[in-house]
Amino acid sequence: MLADALEHLVRGIVDHPDDVRVAGKTLRRGDLLEVRVHPEDLGRVIGRGGRTARALRTVVGALATDGPVRIDVVDVDRR
Amino acid sequence: MSPTDTPAPEAKDLTTRLEEEGEIAADYLEELLDIADLDGDIDIDITFDRAAVEIIADDAASLKHLVGRDGEVLDALQELTRLAVQAKTGERSRLMLDIGGHRAARRAELTKIAEEAIETVRATGAELSLEPLNAFERKVVHDVVAAAGLVSDSRGVEPGRYVVVQPAGSAPAETEAVADVG
Repeated sequence: MLADALEHLVRGIVDHPDDVRVAGKTLRRGDLLEVRVHPEDLGRVIGRGGRTARALRTVVGALATDGPVRIDVVDVDRR
Repeated sequence: MSPTDTPAPEAKDLTTRLEEEGEIAADYLEELLDIADLDGDIDIDITFDRAAVEIIADDAASLKHLVGRDGEVLDALQELTRLAVQAKTGERSRLMLDIGGHRAARRAELTKIAEEAIETVRATGAELSLEPLNAFERKVVHDVVAAAGLVSDSRGVEPGRYVVVQPAGSAPAETEAVADVG
């Protein structure tokens, strides 16, 4: 559910919604959601001073019911 | 309908644009509620030349975590909703989001605080500093103070930024106060 919610939130604010991918990983220290976006949308998803990324973390954090969730934003070209 | 009932072209354009903003925002939020399996209806309105969107639920407690401490989650969701509108329209949005009447209640509370401060400043003739407030809250206080004919400005740095209420006739202390619209 969290990955779907995050994907929806990000798709709505970018120019290339079809390039948005969210992958969930379970790490020892909690869950990680990795967001991949089109390189041109990277700045938009991060925002000035990281403002947009912070807003995404705040909203997804509020929807999370079991434990903290980390969110990483990367562009689709990065491996 | 008489011809005078027809709004001026630019007024109609603004209304149409704000209605469109409200609809884009409602779609964005409705789908989020759907995914998160939260009950809630979306109310769209236009107030003070801004689109005003509110998430309402019969069970107000169910939306409490979407408001967050000091409205922190509400502000984040408003930010994302404005960006979602901007992505569709290509223009910046000043849309206001509320959840379960949180902002309305906070506005009433702040109006009362501002009115008490105004009374004190009138009685003592000295300026009075309030507790730190966020941008939305400072705006509410500035508006109440201005309507009462007194002067106010914002000082300090976020998140410790606060409003100072000054007696009528005080020169605005800093030009920055004028730029501080939020």
